[in-house]
Amino acid sequence: MTELIYFLSLLICTGCLGTSLKPSPIYGGLCLIVSGCSGCLAVLGLGGSFLGLMVFLIYLGGMMVVFGYTTAMSAEEYPETWVSSWLVLGTLVMSIFMGVGMLFVSNYYEGVEMVLEFNSLGGWVVYDGDELGLMGEGGAGVAALYSCSAWLMVVSGWTLFMGVFIIIEITRGN
Amino acid sequence: MNPITLLIIYFTILMGPMITMFGSNLFTMWIGLEMNLLALIPLMMSNSNPRSTEAATKYFLTQATASMILLMSIIMNFKQLGLWTFQPETSSFIMTMSFISLAIKLGLAPFHSWLPEVTQGIELKVGLVLLTWQKIAPLSILSQFYELMDSKMLISSAIASVLIGAWNGLNQTQVRKIMAYSSIAHMGWMISILPYNPSLTTLNLLIYIIMTIPMFLVFHAHSFTSITSMSLMWNKMPMAIPMISLILLSTGGLPPLTGFLPKWAIITELLKNNNLILATLMAMTALINLFFYTRLIYSTSLTTFPTNNNSNMYIQHTHTKTNNILPPLMILSTMLLPLSPLLL
Repeated sequence: MTELIYFLSLLICTGCLGTSLKPSPIYGGLCLIVSGCSGCLAVLGLGGSFLGLMVFLIYLGGMMVVFGYTTAMSAEEYPETWVSSWLVLGTLVMSIFMGVGMLFVSNYYEGVEMVLEFNSLGGWVVYDGDELGLMGEGGAGVAALYSCSAWLMVVSGWTLFMGVFIIIEITRGN
Repeated sequence: MNPITLLIIYFTILMGPMITMFGSNLFTMWIGLEMNLLALIPLMMSNSNPRSTEAATKYFLTQATASMILLMSIIMNFKQLGLWTFQPETSSFIMTMSFISLAIKLGLAPFHSWLPEVTQGIELKVGLVLLTWQKIAPLSILSQFYELMDSKMLISSAIASVLIGAWNGLNQTQVRKIMAYSSIAHMGWMISILPYNPSLTTLNLLIYIIMTIPMFLVFHAHSFTSITSMSLMWNKMPMAIPMISLILLSTGGLPPLTGFLPKWAIITELLKNNNLILATLMAMTALINLFFYTRLIYSTSLTTFPTNNNSNMYIQHTHTKTNNILPPLMILSTMLLPLSPLLL
């Protein structure tokens, strides 16, 4: 279980890395899917069943699909890939090398210190806690959104609305 | 822009810092900061030239980075302590991260680089909102957790802000950049007193806002965007000449005007805490600030550049932009010093 969460966390980081190295939006979307899926699976593995499924359905199944379709519509004929330029490939290899290398070095020696000290994997690995709390935290939290913290629902809804509204306002042009 | 759109955007800009200030939960405060950030972006792009788009992009990128760092510090604090507020047991790494993110949001040195470029790229009205209203929410978070931040970090940032605001403002001819560097310097003064007496931070912020709003209103009246355009103020808006002179001197911190009050109170408080060198340094750099404000006054009121006889006398035209709030703010920003026992 610990190894599963550890592997999924590495996959999230790699996905974020691949997204930021986006040669073309299609590959960026692909890495977002990888990152989102592994984040989802991590949440599911740690017991948040409701929220994990919510992310799968709404985020990946709704928004990412729409993003994929729109980028497919505006696709260019020869998209830039990860191996199409030495810069992108070099950045990818170097980041993976540094990340994995840090783990190996910290295993072999006592610790690594670059900006922060990295002693062991102790702070970075989530150990398996208790199985389920007294209540299922995911479902109870969402239920609370509708009852006692309705103000948070209003604020979050307004902020999400503003996000879309602003994007449309900016891309409107005049 | 469509009036309904504008109404919704202004409402969100109003609500963002309100939610931050009224929140007891750090996550709620973060939501307020994000609302504020998002809603300002279309205002910045309201005249859609590439300069404004670039300024809006720079603003969004830097502020989004700061929000992410703040969110990470909030969540790391929650993982460590189980609470959604910073406590004395919060590790100093988390407090450092949150201070860095709030410094980016405020435009404190050494994270000040975005502020002059963004202020220069947008129009004067939006620049006003950027330099005054946007300072309220991060400073409210800083005022709540002032005793938990490392005071060495705060003081170093204050020293850097004051120096950078002074020296970089010397070389500017564009009025918006001058106001941006003035904002950086004033932020430095506000942060310097934060570990000792945060109510003086609030006082300084209040008086800074009272002084900056009339300046921007005068600049906006006839689009005075550079020092050379301000040299035509005798022709366009002669009533504003003594106003702008006094307000600029007040911003520079000259007694007996209002702007002297926060500087006086801050220096007194610093000296009470045995911080002699910092107080001296800040007083000396305030003189540099005063120099470039005086240069603006020189261009505006003390000289009249030669014109030919055929120039239009704009004072005979009616003003199209009304400034109803200018006289009260002008009085507030120059005559508030006798009320200082009430304010301290």
